[in-house]
Amino acid sequence: MVGPSASDVRSVLQLPNPSTPTPGPSQLRRTQTVERPRKPEGLPREVYSLIGPTAVPTLVAQFAKPRLKQKPNLGGSGRRVRWEWKSFGNGARSDGLKLSHWTKAGADPEAEYPFAKYNTQSNVLTYSQDEYTRLLEDPGWTKEETDYLFQLVQEFDGRFYIVHDRYEYPNGTPRSLEDIKDRYFSVCRKLVRNRPWAGDDAGKSQLLASLTFDKERESTRKKYLASLEQRTPNQIAEEEALYVELKRLEQTERKFKKDRDELLRTLLGIESGLPDIVADEDGLNGGSASYAETRRNRRKGGEVETPVSATPSASTITLNQPAPKRQQSAKSAAYDALHCIQRIDLPPNATTSTKSSHVPVYLRSYKLPAPKTAAAPRIAQVLGELGISHTRLVMPTKENCAQLESLIEAAAALVETKKLVDKVDQDIRVAKIRLASRTSDGDEGETPGAMDADDDGEGAEEDEEGRAQSVVSGRSGRGRKQARRSMSISSVDTSTTGGPKRKKRRGE
Amino acid sequence: MVNYGGDEVSALVLDIGTSTLRAGYAGDDTPKAIIPTCYGFKKEPPTADADVQMDENPTEGEAPKQPAEGKTAMYIGNNGPSIWREDMEVAFPVRDGLIQDFPPIHNLISHAFRDVMRCNPSDHPVLVTEPAWNTPANRERMAQIMFEEFQVPAFYIANTGVLNAFAAGKGSALVIDIGQSTASVTPVVDGFVLRKGLVHSALPQLVQAHAQHLLTSSSGRPGIQLLPHQLIANKQAVEPGQPPRFTLRQERVGGTTDTWRRWYEAREVEEWTQSVAGVLDQGWNEQAASTRGPRHYEFPTGYNYLFGSERFTVGEQFFVHSPQLVASNPNLPKTIPALISSSLGACDPDLRQVLMGNVVLTGGGSLFSGFAERLNNELSRNFAHVRPLFVTNTPLQLRPLTGHS
Repeated sequence: MVGPSASDVRSVLQLPNPSTPTPGPSQLRRTQTVERPRKPEGLPREVYSLIGPTAVPTLVAQFAKPRLKQKPNLGGSGRRVRWEWKSFGNGARSDGLKLSHWTKAGADPEAEYPFAKYNTQSNVLTYSQDEYTRLLEDPGWTKEETDYLFQLVQEFDGRFYIVHDRYEYPNGTPRSLEDIKDRYFSVCRKLVRNRPWAGDDAGKSQLLASLTFDKERESTRKKYLASLEQRTPNQIAEEEALYVELKRLEQTERKFKKDRDELLRTLLGIESGLPDIVADEDGLNGGSASYAETRRNRRKGGEVETPVSATPSASTITLNQPAPKRQQSAKSAAYDALHCIQRIDLPPNATTSTKSSHVPVYLRSYKLPAPKTAAAPRIAQVLGELGISHTRLVMPTKENCAQLESLIEAAAALVETKKLVDKVDQDIRVAKIRLASRTSDGDEGETPGAMDADDDGEGAEEDEEGRAQSVVSGRSGRGRKQARRSMSISSVDTSTTGGPKRKKRRGE
Repeated sequence: MVNYGGDEVSALVLDIGTSTLRAGYAGDDTPKAIIPTCYGFKKEPPTADADVQMDENPTEGEAPKQPAEGKTAMYIGNNGPSIWREDMEVAFPVRDGLIQDFPPIHNLISHAFRDVMRCNPSDHPVLVTEPAWNTPANRERMAQIMFEEFQVPAFYIANTGVLNAFAAGKGSALVIDIGQSTASVTPVVDGFVLRKGLVHSALPQLVQAHAQHLLTSSSGRPGIQLLPHQLIANKQAVEPGQPPRFTLRQERVGGTTDTWRRWYEAREVEEWTQSVAGVLDQGWNEQAASTRGPRHYEFPTGYNYLFGSERFTVGEQFFVHSPQLVASNPNLPKTIPALISSSLGACDPDLRQVLMGNVVLTGGGSLFSGFAERLNNELSRNFAHVRPLFVTNTPLQLRPLTGHS
């Protein structure tokens, strides 16, 4: 279709058709012109005008050409095959019986009867009288009975169940199936062992192995089998119940173990020593995978955000995954964006997989940046003065954690600087006292003056900044002065640390 | 034509049972000829026999024979004993699956082959079946008949149990064969019958007797007259349970022999059993039996009745003997579960699993309503230690087998 033609638009808007033929006549119109002359045969004109020129389902069209199923082509090219009723002899028979069957004409009449090959004979060992007296004497068996046994085995192709069933040696002791098998196999073993063997030793030992029969074991097994069948229904029911109980216990145990593993993995990660921790890299595979991914990413995020607490080899669960594998495809990046997953590249040397260096999953709020223990109370005091609780973040997002960290760093720097300033102040005071005592001894120095000038100059310069900053607004005059001084003294430090601090305050 | 893995030598198969004689071509699905094994005969001069013959010719297919005895007219086939003839006796040459009376056997076989199948037995090798408890003397006699009287080119005797197992596609199976007179359990292993495990009993006869007693005795309703329809001139429709109104053909009553009457009664009971009687699938339960609904049956006299729960007591005889019956009769035939367990008990423990995993149910009696389900339940209840169960129900008909050795 090229697009909506003018007539289509007209029909949609229900406008009358222009009489002049349009360049693109509608499909409907064309079929009308073609089909009008072909009014189906036998259809009344009135009916035709009612139903219009649409395709009339006529029986004529459907049944004009009945489609019959194709005749199967039997026998190919139509050449007839001639069959003949012919008599044949079965080569496997010894009596020369002639039966008749249908064969294709022209088949070789002397051909081997195709079913003769199915009359197989089993080769049962035979023994001579000499061999019997030499090797096969048995107090429980006479030679005649042994002969009878071997004849039966031959007759029934070694089916011992049948041999046992048909075993009716006149005046003989009743033999069990195990007796019969034991006798037969022991005779065969002796014969094979003591006869010259044409083949290799492996074949001989294989044959001997196939002839082994442990009568005691078989009898015991049969006894067990019989006792199994003679259980009373109560015993069977009890056994059944026990079995069900066992199954249930096993299942419970399995479930318990699974739960425990899950718990251990969640709490300890790889430290649990579980070998089957699966760390799925891409997280594109489905719910559980993405869950694992989120967990892992949170952990990684924590590592990087807490360089203070980071154990030297900030660890990972990515056991066999080398660092280059972290290249993200565009797809996984989109996936991450969609699911708010932030990936943090690990330091390349951090891919140690020892248990001790492993850091399991934790919540970010558990590892908020904390000040150094030595300076902690003072920093806490500073932050307390600011009205900020550094031990608890309402919303420990990544950004907030970073800002809190920089705040604590700045506070620590401030405390450090203040300590330095106090020390210097103290030094100055001591020096002044000493100077005063010395001047009282007659020596007036210009050192304090120089100090003062220095101090004043710096102080003036700092003043605006200091005023603007409300960090020290609540502090005593001395503290303010000290703070101002500290700024001037350690200008490098303060300029770096002051920035974020100021920013943070403005943000608040 | 389906070829069962063997050559097609157009062998004939002959299966002589207690109730029917089946004959057909090897490899066919169903026998071509099914004729009753019993036959009617008359001891009378041959001249009178000719008159009877003329009477019956319009009824088509009639095959009166003139056997060697000369004095006896035999009526064989589907129109043999079932047609009333004056002074005709009915004889049963096969009892308990074994042929007891050989002279009429030739006529029966000849009728099946020549008159029904229209073939010449001397052209075909013949396979004859025998029950597993057949005697060597019987076997020799059968071979003699086949070779000397029918000049068959080849003859083979196969065991019914083995053939039933093969027909179900199994080399090893426990064949449960419920015939008209005998129920047998035959363990077949690798195509051989284990003779030690073979058991059979006259259980179906007991069931038959029970059914007959049930019908003719008056318990709650008057005893039913089992009069053959051949003796009834007319009858009127009556309500169920009402006494029948019919008139006898008085001219025939006098000429009816006792054997024929007994044969007919047995047949009527059998028909009633087949159409009405049944067995509950979960053991006898008066309540369950009453919920199954009554079944209607009309006898030739016009008497009809809705048989309720009593119809299920018939099938129960196959599985359980009531204690009072056991007390009164020490020589009861074994029930089906007893047969199976004694058969299995005689087999090697290793084979029991195999056999119970391949149970083949066959014979006309196994078509008894609900029999297969009940047997399956009984087996799974009583033989739980051999778990897998597979009951194949093959109909009574002759099982096909190519008959060359």
